[in-house]
Amino acid sequence: MIQFEDVGKMYPATSKGGEPTIAVQEFSLRIEDGEFCSIVGPSGCGKTTILNMLAGFETPTRGQIVVGDDVVTKPGPERTVVFQRPSLLPWMTVSDNIGFGLTIRDKNPKGHQQEIMQMVEEMGLSGFESHFPYQLSGGMQQRVSIARALITDPTSLLMDEPFGALDAQTRSDMQRFLLELWKTSQPTVLFITHDVDEAILLSDRVVVMTPRPGMVAEEFSIELKRPRKWDSILSTEFLRYKKQILSVLRQEAG
Amino acid sequence: MGYPWGNQKAEIIDEMPMAATDMTIMESGRNYRGYVPWIAALVALIVWEVVAALHLVSAVALPSPVQVFRDLIATATVGYSGQTLLSSTLFSFGRIAVGFALAVLVGIPIGFWMATTDWVFLIIDPFLQFLRPIPPLAYLPLIVAWFGIGELPKVILIFFCTIPIVIISAMSGVKGVQENRKRVAECFGANRWQMFRYVILPSALPEVFTGMRVGIGVAWTCLVAAEMIAASRGLGWMIMSAGGQLQIGVVFVGIIIIGLLGYGMELGIRTLEKKMVPWKGRA
Ligand SMILES: Nc1ncnc2c1ncn2[C@@H]1O[C@H](COP(=O)(O)OP(=O)(O)O)[C@@H](O)[C@H]1O
Ligand SMILES: [Mg+2]
Repeated sequence: MIQFEDVGKMYPATSKGGEPTIAVQEFSLRIEDGEFCSIVGPSGCGKTTILNMLAGFETPTRGQIVVGDDVVTKPGPERTVVFQRPSLLPWMTVSDNIGFGLTIRDKNPKGHQQEIMQMVEEMGLSGFESHFPYQLSGGMQQRVSIARALITDPTSLLMDEPFGALDAQTRSDMQRFLLELWKTSQPTVLFITHDVDEAILLSDRVVVMTPRPGMVAEEFSIELKRPRKWDSILSTEFLRYKKQILSVLRQEAG
Repeated sequence: MGYPWGNQKAEIIDEMPMAATDMTIMESGRNYRGYVPWIAALVALIVWEVVAALHLVSAVALPSPVQVFRDLIATATVGYSGQTLLSSTLFSFGRIAVGFALAVLVGIPIGFWMATTDWVFLIIDPFLQFLRPIPPLAYLPLIVAWFGIGELPKVILIFFCTIPIVIISAMSGVKGVQENRKRVAECFGANRWQMFRYVILPSALPEVFTGMRVGIGVAWTCLVAAEMIAASRGLGWMIMSAGGQLQIGVVFVGIIIIGLLGYGMELGIRTLEKKMVPWKGRA
């Protein structure tokens, strides 16, 4: 279970005379184990800030975040992150990138070949394990990022607009692919996106945020039955959710 | 007729490194890379020969390439003022190699340390910034006064004129590490050493290489200047002394050897760079 308790984040004033920014304010949210939870909201409303605080990269200036029984104070391998821009290490091959978490954890760069090869296969990356990231397409790079995040068996997976930079077709392939993965290992997912269709299609729950300073505007439990397919987004139920969410977003935009 | 679009295709692919996977297309368009530099050098030689043959400049001031080649043979076999070309070259090269290698070995760790530890930066930066803009010739008299005119002062000079470049490039390489890459390692619980080994060091390598290439050029400038003033052998000394006796052919020989050595070192660093940072410019 992940719990945001009245979390606030203020970025300090800059030395060049920029005002302090209150990025997030009074943000409270509870995510159950194994839940797929999406956050949508206008650009700049603090979505990345929220994810970074949960990951432990930033500390809240108010409130706290509790994961299981512990308050989050620093990053940890049980909460892995997939960034929007593939953050692969360009000097490592695909298989070394995928195994990076194991290398760090076991202080041993060799000896995980079996796990890595299994992951490579699962991710449809067979034949590319000795390639470097710059030799892969955007979608494949993002699959490597996901593989790297999953290989340490995290209890939660934090994804910050992971498919935002992909073209529509690749994006839809990746959504399907992510659902498959999630079905098998069922980590808790916090998924950030600005694409309402994507949020509804993937999630158990969609959280809509207000513009900055970001708070929860409204939450929607998505009760579309699983497994969901590409044509789920054409069902009347889906469209009803979409209409509700869009209307909250418009209202908030003023 | 041939295929006029063949080369265009290669150029377009060249501009898109992400798409450059089709090696056969790439290489067939790049055949010219093997011979164009040689043609350019040959044309330069011919122009030189023509200018010299037409006596546009006095033959003493501008010997022809053929004359220079004779001087080259003479300095290589008989020597100039008791020093063969090989010994002059080896002395200069040795001074550079030792001084520059020391600067790299000491400079890279200092640069990394300054970039990661604030108090180290605060202590070293003033000295570095103070030393950097001073032309080495300004402190050459001091080095000569303290260390004489043997090998040690030259090595020290090379060391001091190249180490700021190495330190600054290493430092900026470390500072330029992408935040997300560090975060990935933090996420998995990397300790300081692992962070350095797997993220910071490889990120910084491209800039370190750039610094080394600039450093080599500066090293030659410093060395030749120093040899012109306070030395009794080495290429700089040979050039200065031959110039004084109007043996311009020998001056050319010296210049050409320095140029070729510099070029050779650049090629060496490039090869090393390709091996160690194949991803440069693509990530
Ligand atoms: N490191 C930072 N320093 C100062 N302000 C920041 C920093 N990071 C984000 N902000 C500000 O906080 C607000 C929220 O940013 P972010 O969380 O990135 O929004 P989102 O991901 O929803 O687009 C923005 O107004 C942004 O300018
Ligand atoms: Mg963001």
